Amino acid sequence: MAARLSSNPSKRSSITAGLLSLILPGLGQIYARQRYRGVIVLFGAFLAVLIAFWYGVPAWYAAPAVLWLWNVWDAVGAARGKLRSAFLPLLALLVMGYGIGWQVTGIDFSALIRNLDRATSIVIPMFHPDFFSGVETTNSAWAPVEVPCGPNPPEAVNTVNGIHVAISPNCGKLNQELTVQASGLWPDTPTNIQWATPIGDILPLGKGFITDLYVTTDAQGNLDTTIHIPPSALSAAPDPTLPLEHRIYLVQSRPRPGFQLSENGGYVVQGIIQTIFLALISTTFGALGAIPISFLAARNLMGGHPLTLSIYVIVRTLLNILRSIEPLIIAIIFVVIVGLGPFAGAIAITLHTIAALGKLYSEVIEGIDPGPLEAIRAVGGNWIQMVRYAVIPQIVPPFASFTLFRWDINVRTSTIIGFVGGGGIGFYLYQWIIKGDFEAVSSSFIAIAVIVVTLDFVSARVRARLV
Amino acid sequence: MLQIEHLTKVYPNGTVALKDVTFTVQDGEFLVIIGLSGSGKSTLLRCINRLIEPTEGRVLWDGANITRASPAELRQLRRHVGMVFQQFNVVKRSSVMTNVLSGRLGYVNSFSSVLGLWSKSDRERALKALERVGIADKADNRADALSGGQQQRVGIARTLMQEPKLILADEPVASLDPVLSHSILRYLEQLNKEGITVLCSLHFLDLVHRYATRVIALKEGVKVFEGLPKEIDRAKFKEIYGEEAQEVRATTVEEG
Ligand SMILES: Nc1ncnc2c1ncn2[C@@H]1O[C@H](COP(=O)(O)OP(=O)(O)O)[C@@H](O)[C@H]1O
Ligand SMILES: [Mg+2]
Repeated sequence: MAARLSSNPSKRSSITAGLLSLILPGLGQIYARQRYRGVIVLFGAFLAVLIAFWYGVPAWYAAPAVLWLWNVWDAVGAARGKLRSAFLPLLALLVMGYGIGWQVTGIDFSALIRNLDRATSIVIPMFHPDFFSGVETTNSAWAPVEVPCGPNPPEAVNTVNGIHVAISPNCGKLNQELTVQASGLWPDTPTNIQWATPIGDILPLGKGFITDLYVTTDAQGNLDTTIHIPPSALSAAPDPTLPLEHRIYLVQSRPRPGFQLSENGGYVVQGIIQTIFLALISTTFGALGAIPISFLAARNLMGGHPLTLSIYVIVRTLLNILRSIEPLIIAIIFVVIVGLGPFAGAIAITLHTIAALGKLYSEVIEGIDPGPLEAIRAVGGNWIQMVRYAVIPQIVPPFASFTLFRWDINVRTSTIIGFVGGGGIGFYLYQWIIKGDFEAVSSSFIAIAVIVVTLDFVSARVRARLV
Repeated sequence: MLQIEHLTKVYPNGTVALKDVTFTVQDGEFLVIIGLSGSGKSTLLRCINRLIEPTEGRVLWDGANITRASPAELRQLRRHVGMVFQQFNVVKRSSVMTNVLSGRLGYVNSFSSVLGLWSKSDRERALKALERVGIADKADNRADALSGGQQQRVGIARTLMQEPKLILADEPVASLDPVLSHSILRYLEQLNKEGITVLCSLHFLDLVHRYATRVIALKEGVKVFEGLPKEIDRAKFKEIYGEEAQEVRATTVEEG
């Protein structure tokens, strides 16, 4: 402990000191003229009791108990002019600290093993990134049906692409059975039969009207089956008694060689592009904002006069505060203000960039060699010439290098910003995680990794050239 | 003629760097200023072109009062006063050519110089200056690719761009290998022979004997000696540099 013992040992009764410390920890030490030590013991004991009480596990009371007993012994020692080692109470406090730490973080290693099935349900789709899909050719046709039946329903026959489709009867009411006959389809091919309402809603016709209905064509490409009009066919109709034309679609598809960007793959590409440009725009605006601020935050420029010095202190403090707020938190605030989307993320990253670059830039300015400035003044150059010929050549390359590095960091940050609605790949990623679409999650992970590694490599190369 | 009269400099922190220094420099002299480090040599040289504002006293140049000059007049005066620095003070990330051209800034207008537009005659002048100091082939190199001795030659070429009448050289060879000292000082000697007045602070006595036409010694901001180089004998040397001092030679290869 930091307390020092006076050269003249206190002539205090050790029994009184011990008793005082038994009543209130630290009191005996204070009585024995070890004021500093006494206050620390009092404070430590108070804190230990408070924490043990708060977390309520009886075992934690061991630490204050050890501290209490040690404190009596220490008070007696102090009265006799001896300093006791504080190892034991410190150890007790440390054990309590880690014990409570374990308790509050809810460490539960068995959870890692217990939920193996959940782990596999996440890990296995990870090996099938949803980025590309096979390409297919489709073959489809349709015929109209009137629901409900009107005075003279149109004929439920139609020919599309050489495929003839006929429905009978040509109108009906909900749940009524209809016969679908078609010819001219691809032979021996599963054919999806779907219901389309007048406003274009596609309803499946399989079991319970929630799964697709597939019927395989015969060797001649003919199909003959029955379906039921979906009970929800009129749920979007303004007037369910008004007869309207619905359609029955027959769709066949066949894989073709080659592959294309899958639907989610398209979102991944879109999200990544959004992320890169989000980072680019925020880095640019952040850098533009940081340049003037950095001059105000440079001590060598602002230190001369009490007024400028106070501006320097204020600007520095604001930058430090702004820099300490995670962009994620700023993004949440701006999502509330400007709404979901990349704009909120851009504001958050821009603000953080201003703070981070402002500090780095100002350090560059503080580190410039004053010699060339002196030389330009000595040849009769004016202020603007001094800036152009002595200051700018010294600061532009490091500024550019720091800015590039920031862009790199901002791309990484903006992938996370999406999680709180700040746009970019993170926005999609978050939704896929919620939906449990881990194949799409996997492809976004891969895309993020590729972009981050590439950018890291490129920016390192360019920066090496700049300095 | 340069007249320094009762020059005193007190820094804001209270350090008295110069105390009532008076002397006169005739045109065409090679005046060397000696003294221990901290004796006020740099302060004195910078008070002459007012890179440092003197606290008291005045500096007259051909009758014009430099200490009273307005900012505009001061820039006019400065462009005829070249300065060579111990640390060269070249911009390391700029090209040699740009560094040399910057010596011309007192003559050109701000607008075109800020855009980096230089007239053909200025570029030719810069190349000639580089030729004079023997590094014309380095014109397009970045300054930090040059050795210390070459960077100091860039510093001299920059000074030549000013068409100076007076050169202030603040320990121009103190950061260089002793063997390089002569090569740099000989350029200053050559310019001096062409009629340019040179004020130069130096550390090594053999260099003083070799180049100075006259010597001034400072000790704790006070002028303690003024006279010819040969007048600095052992006793004077001890007086200027203190009892412990030993004479050190810059180099034994006089003509390198
Ligand atoms: N900017 C300054 N502020 C305060 N004191 C200074 C400053 N520059 C120089 N000094 C002091 O002034 C004295 C003379 O310095 P200087 O002229 O650099 O001497 P020299 O060039 O002979 O080494 C030294 O004591 C030095 O510490
Ligand atoms: Mg000096």
